[in-house]
Amino acid sequence: MIGPSRVAELDMPGAAIEGASTRPAQSYWNESWERLRANRIGMAAGILILIFALIAILAPVFSAVLTHFQPQTIDLSQTFSPPGGKHLLGTDELGRDTLTRLIWGARVTLGVALLTVAVSLTVGTAVGMMAGYYGGWLDDVLMRLVDTVLAIPAIFLFILMSILFRPTPVSLALIIASVGWGQVARLVRGEVLSVKQRDFILATRSIGARHLRLMLRHLLPNVLPVLIVAASLGVGQIILIEAALDFLGLGIQPPTPSWGNQLTNAESYFFHSIWLVNFPGLLIFVTVLASNVFGNAIRDAFDPRLK
Amino acid sequence: MTQPLLEVQDLHTVFSTKEGWVKAVDGVSFELHPGETLGIVGESGCGKSVTALSIMRLQRPGFIKSGRVMFKGEDLTKATEAEMREVRGREIAMIFQDPMTSLNPVFRTGWQVAEPLRLHHGWNAKKSLTSAINMLGKVGIPSAVDRAEDYPHQFSGGMRQRVMIAMGLTTTPEVLIADEPTTALDVTIQAQILDLLRHVNQEFGTATILITHNLGVVAGMCKRIIVMYAGRIVEAGPTTDVFAHPKHPYTWALLRSIPRLDADRHEPLKPIDGLPPNLVDLPSGCAFHPRCAFKIEKCSRDVPALERVGDTQLSACWVTQSGTELKGA
Repeated sequence: MIGPSRVAELDMPGAAIEGASTRPAQSYWNESWERLRANRIGMAAGILILIFALIAILAPVFSAVLTHFQPQTIDLSQTFSPPGGKHLLGTDELGRDTLTRLIWGARVTLGVALLTVAVSLTVGTAVGMMAGYYGGWLDDVLMRLVDTVLAIPAIFLFILMSILFRPTPVSLALIIASVGWGQVARLVRGEVLSVKQRDFILATRSIGARHLRLMLRHLLPNVLPVLIVAASLGVGQIILIEAALDFLGLGIQPPTPSWGNQLTNAESYFFHSIWLVNFPGLLIFVTVLASNVFGNAIRDAFDPRLK
Repeated sequence: MTQPLLEVQDLHTVFSTKEGWVKAVDGVSFELHPGETLGIVGESGCGKSVTALSIMRLQRPGFIKSGRVMFKGEDLTKATEAEMREVRGREIAMIFQDPMTSLNPVFRTGWQVAEPLRLHHGWNAKKSLTSAINMLGKVGIPSAVDRAEDYPHQFSGGMRQRVMIAMGLTTTPEVLIADEPTTALDVTIQAQILDLLRHVNQEFGTATILITHNLGVVAGMCKRIIVMYAGRIVEAGPTTDVFAHPKHPYTWALLRSIPRLDADRHEPLKPIDGLPPNLVDLPSGCAFHPRCAFKIEKCSRDVPALERVGDTQLSACWVTQSGTELKGA
């Protein structure tokens, strides 16, 4: 051991308290997780989203075991059946089972939301990180690009793109993400600018780390909390955008079911078949609400000062 | 004397600002010999840190305009970025002023201390961690095996600085640059960290550049010191000689501005008049002349070069170079 015993003695008292084995090794992530777990409403929202996601993934199973219908099975003898009986949540104008279509619609709607978030987060993080980290002219170029993207009225862009590219779940996700990444890029850039000022970035450079390693291994984990919050809040927004596009007939095209285009259909019949509006509308409402509540809970968990 | 390990020759580092070029380092030359501890002192903004960062080529957004940094026969100012990465952390390591922000908050300390080994020796996680824990023990972290599992926020400032030192030493570099390593720590911890640096220097034979604004720190640590003012070296020499007979009015004034145990109790401390110069718009001639008690007419006209004054010291001062002793009330 280096250092005279005097040094060791001076250190020991404080060190002994700090080094006691009873103290749990609390990482930033552990602490955040503990705080998140303590937030009951937030956890409930998270679990709800998880259940919806599970149902969406297991749609074929539900279709086979629970409802015994396929989403596109037409039965013209059973149009507009009210909820109950064979059709738990009723049928639509073509006699298709509403519950089955909602379950398969969850696949499309949640899938689009997830893919959109994944794409805009990946692109946005890459752009924001490069702009924030390298600065200078690259920052100027990238951020003016972001400004340009954010200045385009999104709804017109969606309409135009939907006309040019036939909307499938994947193309729809890409269309929405083509605007969504701009927000993420700004967010990440701001965060990188603040983290970059701290000495550990210089210290990491001083041990010989290359830029890419520094960005991916050392900088990214520091930006991750912001990204997780952006992702969970983003899901809700995207479901709303997608529902709006579906409703305008610019999103997912029938007969593929999505929550949004089920609403479009229902519009013409809601005087006599209110369940066609209620159920998809309720699902959209609950999912968006849960996503926002969960997003806020995560933000509070990561940054308790914001509460 | 032996061949110098590191030789800085006429280094000029500038920063571009809206007001114009800032000459943060303006013609600095010095040598570092194997195993020695060299002190660089000066007030904030005099170019100490930029000099150190320029050696590592981490001076951005600054720019090395001219000069050479010879390390093992190679000029680091001309090395490629890839070559520099090999030097950084492997042959020259650096410790920073604020241990609270020099460690990445999201990683366990053991992992961070081991990072240079993974980077430079390509060691796997397990091997590098074992070595890192060993080093943490050597720098005086109690129960290093457990502490390596902890995150930086679970360490005190002094302990974090030890962790930083351990991280610097894992690859047994030949040069350790300590940039104000004790400034952010309280006095008792300062003494411990300095003790540790002294022992590192003795046990590993690591040549150390100790950058500080604290004259007390260099007095106890360094055989040789360099005094910087406004981006230039104004005085250099063996610490004892410089302290006993300063050959530059700035050093002279600096020494009179700190309390001494052997001074008359009623003698007031004498601060240096005036303010440090604006680096964008330096005074003509010697940058110190507006604050200097000994200035002669030549001082505001010509910039003095660093030349031998007396047997062991170098000074950039027209007054002492002409043989005048610095004395006064």
